[in-house]
Amino acid sequence: MRLPDSVTGSFLVALGAAAAYGGYILPPVPGQPVGPNVFPLVIGSGLALCGLAIVFGIGHSFEEEEELIPLEDGQAAAPPPQSKLYGLRALLPPALLLFYVFAADRLGFIITAAIMVYVTSTALGAKWKLALPLAALSPFAIHLIFGKLLRVPLPAGLLPTPW
Amino acid sequence: MLKTLIEAFALISTWEVIIAMVAASVYGLVIGSLPGLSATMATALLVPVTFYLSPIAAIATIVAASSMAIFSGDIPGALLRIPGTPASAAYADEAYAMTRKGQAELALGAGVWFSAVGGIAGVLSLMIPAPPLAEIALSFSTFEYFWLALLGLMCATLVARSSPVKAIAGMFLGLLVSCVGIENPGGVPRFTFGLTDLFGGIEPIPALVGVFAVAQVMRAMLTPEPPPLPRRKFGSIMAGQWKLTKQYHWQMTRGNIVGIIIGVLPGAGADMAAWVSYAMSKRFSKEPEKFGTGHVEGLVEAGASNNASIASGWVPSLLFGIPGDTIAAIAIGVLYMKGLNPGPTLFTEKASSMYAIYLMFIIANILMIPLGIAMIRIAAYILLAPRSAIMPIIMLCCAVGSFAIGNNMFGVVTVAAFGVIGYVMEANGYPVAAMVLGIVMGTMVEQAFVTSLIKSDGSILPFFERPVAAILAAMAIGALLWPVMVWVWRKVKPPQTAAATSR
Repeated sequence: MRLPDSVTGSFLVALGAAAAYGGYILPPVPGQPVGPNVFPLVIGSGLALCGLAIVFGIGHSFEEEEELIPLEDGQAAAPPPQSKLYGLRALLPPALLLFYVFAADRLGFIITAAIMVYVTSTALGAKWKLALPLAALSPFAIHLIFGKLLRVPLPAGLLPTPW
Repeated sequence: MLKTLIEAFALISTWEVIIAMVAASVYGLVIGSLPGLSATMATALLVPVTFYLSPIAAIATIVAASSMAIFSGDIPGALLRIPGTPASAAYADEAYAMTRKGQAELALGAGVWFSAVGGIAGVLSLMIPAPPLAEIALSFSTFEYFWLALLGLMCATLVARSSPVKAIAGMFLGLLVSCVGIENPGGVPRFTFGLTDLFGGIEPIPALVGVFAVAQVMRAMLTPEPPPLPRRKFGSIMAGQWKLTKQYHWQMTRGNIVGIIIGVLPGAGADMAAWVSYAMSKRFSKEPEKFGTGHVEGLVEAGASNNASIASGWVPSLLFGIPGDTIAAIAIGVLYMKGLNPGPTLFTEKASSMYAIYLMFIIANILMIPLGIAMIRIAAYILLAPRSAIMPIIMLCCAVGSFAIGNNMFGVVTVAAFGVIGYVMEANGYPVAAMVLGIVMGTMVEQAFVTSLIKSDGSILPFFERPVAAILAAMAIGALLWPVMVWVWRKVKPPQTAAATSR
């Protein structure tokens, strides 16, 4: 998700300005010249200035291109299939985490975790022969470590664990 | 002092600490050896587990896992030419060239041996100068702390391998994140948008897990899987290491020193230490033409360097609460949680805990030799595990771990959000480490800044009146102006720029 500097820079200007304004309207501490408003004001202004500088390409010459170690002959990986939706795959992990937030209390930890594992594994190219056992076993292992040994209150939901 | 030392020994010689240390070592070795899983990520995922351990055992796991992971990143670097952690990237080519020449044992042995030596040199940097520095730091007022924090933040932007403007922007973003919540000078809800979950502020640990672990899984979604490791039989791994130590003792020492210095600088960690040391080794070598063809000299120096930086990164963390690198940033979070608040008083009031930390570093680096050799021998089997089996487990650990921090689901939302933020920042050249530093140090910077402003009654002069404050201020402002001066310099002399960029 490589965006042009002008886009990220403008976003920072907007964010900085919003933060500075948000800080400015905070109520001051009575009888005190500085309160909770000063720091956001400084940070917001700084951020906006940086954003402006980025929009105008200042400091761009310092950026080093990512150093990729070239693969050897015969080892070259096949180019990944490029389609518009391909880049959206990157959003899968955060989406699954949000799914966990909303589903874990209802479905319970084991089922939610199994779905997460199966989807992540398949998205990374695993065949069902690997993904299915993994999804069946790993939630129990994690539950054993976190739920049983470390006593994290993981939601039981529809399928309580045997222990 | 002897009494403190004995107390420290008593602290670490419990079964809990010993088991935690060995388990964390194995964990660090495995995570470090898997390409795409960095030492920082290993440490971040460990944090939820440390909640349930005693303070010393918690620190033991972090010390052991981070030291081991930095070494074990060398293994796939040497065998596959794919560094396991970014800290091994500098010399992965060189190590792989040695493997092709049939010297895999020598390359990996140098990795283990000089990592351990470097780690122990790093501990010395923690043991010797830190207590006297703590004496000086005891007399610091908020003015000094303000400048020190600013200097720390500026260093992080100077050493970033990216545009300094973007690094500063990243730092501001981190500071902005730390503004959220009611823990501010006025005690009013700030940037909470009416959400009660945000009243307590954004916890640094879920943010770090998101930035380092979730963002990594996101990147894995779009990158091809690394090839499996060819199985091979290894000869003696430690053979010839003593000879190398004698032959290259000067390079080793130089690597240690450079690693220590870079580790102490906030924001610059093991990967930077390895790059600088490898470049230095080549520059000062008597046989620079051999570099890149499988020559062990650079490996010695860079391997000694990156592990030295791990321990020395704890120096500013323990003294001032300013993290020397991203791993130390996580460690600071754990220290606060365990009631070992960083600061100079730690060295006077909790001296036995300090000695325990030194001892654990030394033990971890000694333990690295046998465990590291074992790891090299079984690496081929561990690296057989496909990414599609590891990443789902990482995801589960992210979800459960971030939930465990406060036993509420908001932690999981934070992890997801910071995963996206970290991914987008990295993809666009904004250094994530700078933001992390901002998040971790934000509260401290604000406190020092606002308290100083109140004390000075609106005047700027007291910020420069005390001698130490003046020196720190000069350094911080210099660091702020440095990129500007370089930029102006390049504008004034365009021909050199062309020559420099085309190299």
